Amino acid sequence: MEKSLFRYIWTHSKRDQMIVCAVVLASLPFYFMSLDLPRQIVNQAIQGEAFRDGNTTAPFLALKYDWPAWLGGGTLELFEGFQVSRLGLLMGLSFVFLFFVIVNGAFKYWINVSKGILGERMLRRMRFDLFSMVLRFTPEALRTVKSSETATIVKDEVEPIGGFIGDAFITPVFLGTQAITALVFIMVQNAWLGLIALAVIAVQFTIIPRLRRALLRLGKQRQLASRQLAGRIAEVLDGIEVVHVHNAYKWERAEIGHRLFNLFFIRLEIYNRKFFVKALNNFLAQLTPFFFYAIGGYFALRGTLDIGQLVAVIAAYRELPPPLKELIDWDQLRLDVQVKYDQVTQHFAEERLGPLLEDREPATEDQPLIGPLLGEEIQIAGPHGDMIIEGGAFEVELPASVALISNGGAAAGILARILARRSLEFSGRIRIGERDLAQIPISVVGRRIAYAGVDPILFPGSIRDNLVYGLRSRPLGKLKEDKPEMDRRIAEALRTGNPIESIADQWVDYERLGVKDENDLDRILLELMDRIGMGDTIYLFGLAGRIDPERHTTLAERLVEARHRLRETFQSNGMSDLVEPFDPGRYNSQATIAENLLFGVPVSDAFRGRNLAENAQFRGAMDRAVLTDELVRMGLQIAETMTEIFEGLPPGHSLFEQFSFIGAEELPEFEAILRRHGRGEGSLKREDRTRLLSLPLAYIEARHRLGLLDDAMMSRIVEARSLVHAVLEEAGSEGVEFYDPERICAAAPLRDNLLFGRVSYQVANARARVAEAVATVVRELELKEEVEKIGLDYQVGTAGRLLSPQERASVNLVRCLVKRPDILVVDGALAPFDEARSQQLVQLLLELFDQQSLFMVLPNDRQAGDFDVQMRFRDGQIITNKTAASAPRASTPEPDAAQRIAGEVA
Amino acid sequence: MTLETEVQSLRQVPMFRDVDPARLKLLAFTSERVQFAGGQRFFSQGDPSDAAYVILDGRASVLLNTPGGDIQVAELGSNALVGEMGILSDTPRSATIMAAEPTTALRIDKRVFLELLAQFPQMSLAIMRELAKRLERTNAQLVAQSSS
Repeated sequence: MEKSLFRYIWTHSKRDQMIVCAVVLASLPFYFMSLDLPRQIVNQAIQGEAFRDGNTTAPFLALKYDWPAWLGGGTLELFEGFQVSRLGLLMGLSFVFLFFVIVNGAFKYWINVSKGILGERMLRRMRFDLFSMVLRFTPEALRTVKSSETATIVKDEVEPIGGFIGDAFITPVFLGTQAITALVFIMVQNAWLGLIALAVIAVQFTIIPRLRRALLRLGKQRQLASRQLAGRIAEVLDGIEVVHVHNAYKWERAEIGHRLFNLFFIRLEIYNRKFFVKALNNFLAQLTPFFFYAIGGYFALRGTLDIGQLVAVIAAYRELPPPLKELIDWDQLRLDVQVKYDQVTQHFAEERLGPLLEDREPATEDQPLIGPLLGEEIQIAGPHGDMIIEGGAFEVELPASVALISNGGAAAGILARILARRSLEFSGRIRIGERDLAQIPISVVGRRIAYAGVDPILFPGSIRDNLVYGLRSRPLGKLKEDKPEMDRRIAEALRTGNPIESIADQWVDYERLGVKDENDLDRILLELMDRIGMGDTIYLFGLAGRIDPERHTTLAERLVEARHRLRETFQSNGMSDLVEPFDPGRYNSQATIAENLLFGVPVSDAFRGRNLAENAQFRGAMDRAVLTDELVRMGLQIAETMTEIFEGLPPGHSLFEQFSFIGAEELPEFEAILRRHGRGEGSLKREDRTRLLSLPLAYIEARHRLGLLDDAMMSRIVEARSLVHAVLEEAGSEGVEFYDPERICAAAPLRDNLLFGRVSYQVANARARVAEAVATVVRELELKEEVEKIGLDYQVGTAGRLLSPQERASVNLVRCLVKRPDILVVDGALAPFDEARSQQLVQLLLELFDQQSLFMVLPNDRQAGDFDVQMRFRDGQIITNKTAASAPRASTPEPDAAQRIAGEVA
Repeated sequence: MTLETEVQSLRQVPMFRDVDPARLKLLAFTSERVQFAGGQRFFSQGDPSDAAYVILDGRASVLLNTPGGDIQVAELGSNALVGEMGILSDTPRSATIMAAEPTTALRIDKRVFLELLAQFPQMSLAIMRELAKRLERTNAQLVAQSSS
């Protein structure tokens, strides 16, 4: 980025800046006219100056120009105007005034909007430029760059810069012309007074910026301190586990407290100085009239200056301060923003950035990475200057599977990173066929080399999004977009240096992967996930997921069929007591009272959980069904039981969260309600009733066994269902999706849709048996794949935290596999798995990569024999061995090398 | 059958006899009532111990796995507590329990049970007392056997 903010602004927005400037200048005459008109209205129309000579009419809209005396005087009349009466003149001038008000307003509106848009466009460009630089940070820079600080910069710190951009050139032009006009006016009246004014302004413009230098220094400190505060907060949050484990709350509190104190102190300093400068500025502004009165008065007394001139000068000077003040403010803002800009550009200093990302490479470069892999004279230095590999050399004919056997040192991992082009910190040469590894373009590397490291980095989104992440190298331009909308998007992107690609486009090149479409790709993803051992997990995610009838058409069509089949299976296998189906005419004792009343799944939060008790529509339905009192009575019973049995458990005890209807913190409140009720203080208060009513909504008769529901009550609840439906439908509420045995319920998880009922709490081992039956039916109807596709929609959460470490590692590996790279480098990606699983996975990878190259860092050579080539690292040397069976030509390794290896293993 | 009747059943179990009624209610509330069909196993010998059961209704056989097949060594009826030793000693099941007829039992989860013991010393004391009594009985039996 340019070193100077103004150059940056000017380079990217000069056309817009000039247009707005031109409009500002064009608006000035209108502005001055509107200032002059009130005088005319008062003097000519109201006071009647225009009719002084006994005229009954006066010219209106006369255009004439009085030539100044030094041009010979006289009047140039362009238009003699309309002759109008006094009232007519008043009305005419008033309407002209109104006209100018509107014109000025329109100008102001246009200028403000244009300035705003200009600023926003520049802000977009700047943010995008910064983000592009984020992608270019070198590995060395990334060791010191904090992500949260960078985010703060891109998001917050450039914001005021964007606000300033609109004013960068326009404000000084506008205010400058105003100030100069006033100054010239004073000069014309009296040169001495003009010089005095000029002198004071000169003082203002020299002293004040000097004083402000300290302010700028403080501003810089403040910016850094607040950026570090943001960074520190993010660090604590990321490492919150360690804070909890080591009980470091006090330390962290003190740490942040100290930072806030420093920040406060800096701000205090800023305020002190800022207002001192302001006060001085005001004083200087008032000093000039003092000189005018004293010196101008002296001249007047001496008779060298006439009173009229003095008054005019003072009047003109009154016009001078506002633009001057604003100009000084603008200058302050300019310096402030420049400091911010400097700080931002320092963060993204050129030496911290890698080379520009190339856009396109010639297609000829894109050859498979096979042939002899040759390493010569390889030197790798460790972080402390020690040599990890010195003069290493190797030769492997690719494709091959290569085990990089780590001897506990860093060499294997570093070489793996180099081969995956993750690091270029080595000297020497590594060639694949004719090509130098270090010279292969990034896009080819991205397509043909995959690297699975220790840290499986996942982005928030679905599992599928993460799996296909490596396939999204470029859009295929198959997006069918609304033409005007697309033009607008692209024009705007071009104006701001943003990319014109749309993320709505198709980014995955199915053809290159050899698949037909999205569904076909899903099949490949599922197969890989299955082979890597996550098939069952994906299936379970699918059952817990929600069906989107538009996307999962096959499943949507057959779901009801599967539901019926499942029911038949239960009945024919004597399992009908395992699941209690949702029956519109029967109470489901395995479901909550709320579910029985709604007979559906809440879609909006207003119908979920305890909110239901406060929901006016639901309460109305309960009142009409005369169930409110009953529910409140049940609430009282639940509250009594809960306060009795959970008494004495410390708050926050896990049993509370697991079993109680009432949270530990609510217990005293419910005790108070019970006491009020026990004392018989009339009827309960409305809020108390609402709180009590919320309790039985979560009550499941079969599970909680408090004996609150008898058959009569159950049938009353079933009867109330239709009333609830009617009330919700009357109100046009879409908060609940109702159950229908013949239709799918998109709001409910797939599992509930299949079962269409609740698994019994009372039958031993019911859940496992039901799950088995479901699996059988899903398999029989060949819906497993469809279910698993829904499983791919499972959200992985921030950094994949909703997945287990093994699942994260699996997703990471499959993300590499699905790319079908020529070279896969695995460095520690199997670490989360236990020994047995990890061995299976090594075999799987070897099997999958028998046509391509696989480089894998292994902790020992227990499994190295399965690879074609073993690489060992010893005394800064690389020793390559070929497994006899797969590479017969290298059947006689140097005896010396073999001995060394044996010694190493021992 | 409601929580109250289950509490009554629990009170019949020697190990829980001295436990405070409110605690028994908590124990019952945090347990699950499950039904076993005749012939269905509560658990099998060698399984990890994850729960204890109190038989509320029905009968269950205690089976030992021997080289000659399963042999029945005892039968349990209402209010019998079974599987508590496994969850206390954290050892695998020493015998198989199979419902002899349709049987209802209260399943006390191991984790919940241990948490209740940790939380309420009075409950632990009652359990210890019962275990001490059992030990005493076993000792007496040993003495009787060796002297006979």
